[in-house]
Amino acid sequence: MQKIKIAIGFLSVLILLSCYSTRIKVSNGQAEPDDTEREDALSGLWVRELDTIVKVKTITDENPINIRDCESGALHTVEYKSTFGGILLYLVTFGRKRTVKVKYVCIKESN
Amino acid sequence: MATTKITERQRWDTLHKNGPFELKLFLSTRLEKKGNMPSSIDRYNDAATEIRKLLREALDKNEGFRAIGSKWSMSSIAHHEDRMHFNSFMNMKFPILASEMHPDSDYLQENLFFLQCGNQIKEISLYLQDLGKSLKTTGASNGQTIAGCISTGVHGSAIDVGSVQDYVVGLNLIIGPDPEDVIYLERHTKPALSNVLPDKINAKVIRNDSLFNAALVSLGSFGFIHGVLIEAEDQFLLTRYVRKISKDTALELARTLDFKNTTFKIPEEVDANGSPLRPYHYKVFINPYGNEDKYVVEALYKKKFDPLYKEKHGDPIPFMKEFVYRDLIYLFIKISERFPKAIPKFVKALNNTILPSEDEKIVGRLSEIFWDAGYQGRAFACSFGVDHKDSVKALDVLSQLTKDEGPIPGIFAMRFIKKSDALLAFSKFPFTCMIEIDGIQWKKSNKLMSLEEYTKRMIEVLKENNIPFTIHWGKNADWGFPKLAEHMFQDNVEAWMKHRSALLSKGMAKVFSNNFLKTAGLDHYEENASEDLIATIT
Repeated sequence: MQKIKIAIGFLSVLILLSCYSTRIKVSNGQAEPDDTEREDALSGLWVRELDTIVKVKTITDENPINIRDCESGALHTVEYKSTFGGILLYLVTFGRKRTVKVKYVCIKESN
Repeated sequence: MATTKITERQRWDTLHKNGPFELKLFLSTRLEKKGNMPSSIDRYNDAATEIRKLLREALDKNEGFRAIGSKWSMSSIAHHEDRMHFNSFMNMKFPILASEMHPDSDYLQENLFFLQCGNQIKEISLYLQDLGKSLKTTGASNGQTIAGCISTGVHGSAIDVGSVQDYVVGLNLIIGPDPEDVIYLERHTKPALSNVLPDKINAKVIRNDSLFNAALVSLGSFGFIHGVLIEAEDQFLLTRYVRKISKDTALELARTLDFKNTTFKIPEEVDANGSPLRPYHYKVFINPYGNEDKYVVEALYKKKFDPLYKEKHGDPIPFMKEFVYRDLIYLFIKISERFPKAIPKFVKALNNTILPSEDEKIVGRLSEIFWDAGYQGRAFACSFGVDHKDSVKALDVLSQLTKDEGPIPGIFAMRFIKKSDALLAFSKFPFTCMIEIDGIQWKKSNKLMSLEEYTKRMIEVLKENNIPFTIHWGKNADWGFPKLAEHMFQDNVEAWMKHRSALLSKGMAKVFSNNFLKTAGLDHYEENASEDLIATIT
């Protein structure tokens, strides 16, 4: 019985964490570089991450999330991740809690 | 004030993970905010002061200092175990004013631009685009910094243009920690600037062809390249075709570069007599394990700029680009290490994704044709320059080695570049054919030799077959091969080291040396190098 519970627990975590991501980038901008050892599609770029839960009230909608750390004031790449857990949270809270998992790369500041 | 963030590190690696290498300190300089220092020249000079301060610290601590850009080189040329300086945020751009032109200059003022070292090719292209201008050529992609490009000899396959360093007409070097260590260097036979701009940046002017040609491909060792004066040209379009043509025709073109008398003809690209035009760019792709009687070739033709090109021909940049899953490639490599005979099958299976496909012509700017290259895994690349007349023989020798003693997980390509005047440019032949093998890194096994062994054998077989060659400074090679630099560049090696010795103090020559330079046998310092080598020639 204990093993079944562990297996179900493990499976639940897997399902909640299962995700897909979509990446959008501008074609006519220079991405902000960085010296990192990452080995994904954003290798060589300065990647910032936003991982939060946005809470909205019953009669007001959310405000935009302000990104303050792009010196150039512009975004180059945005990778949005959607998890099953995040969708479930949205459903059970009737849209009042929204999981936001975003990676972004700024445009390099022009000088 | 420009500020430098200094971080303690244990290791550093290239973009394509050809290391890791040991490192003590990683430095990254950011310019003063425009609002705090509105004058661009003041900000540029402020950055120069910061670099001199950093050089002073390195010198006083008897440590090395190496500037790096986008770390695209696969060799260890960009590495120093003491201090590495990331300069990508030093990216100021200046048009040249009429009052700054040399009275004897043959250059058009509107085509000259002074760029700080950390400008990346893509941002330069976008900047020039807004002014109706374009770079003359780039590498196959656009992420390198301008200083990184010229230090290692980045090239495309612009047959009659040359490499990136070949449109550089002036250099602003910082060769030490003192105010008088800032110099502006250009050719005396082709002056570009008067002393107006050098005076603004507090630089001592040296006009000397030999010194300029020595410092042009500097391997990062002629001082800190702070600024680069380039000659751009009017914006233009390229029309790109990918075709499968007979192997014999593709190789005959490589050997002769005679595009007028060939059976390879694109109907739209002919002269008034119906003879094929000479392309701006020609590249041949070769699967060394295939027995195909046809090769894939890529030909680009230069056209006058038409602002309606996207409406007429579509967007040259694909909406979405597909890549093979990196994990799948790594799995192939793991299997290959145990079963090397599988490599030709894997290469064949991936042919359609590795090689460009025959499609409709694409029309776009230089910067759109040679666009972003996504990270595709731990890569290696070997690249040998030979006289194009020797290209077929050299390709045969290298691909035979790859089949007999490999196989190696990669494919070959040939690109062509006009001769460079730089002393250590690997494009040293009238037309250099760069024979490249690119692929994914593997580990040596009982059945598969290592990359180090492979690169050594490549040098050996070219020597055995008496084929003069050079090697791309930023690619994988057995750089410790005895007398390799002398074999490739003969007397130019000594001339390069003499000019370097004359320009740099002994202490600074050590600061600007690294293990790559030592391994390649290029770090010799000549105590009594003649001052004439660094004098302005009038």
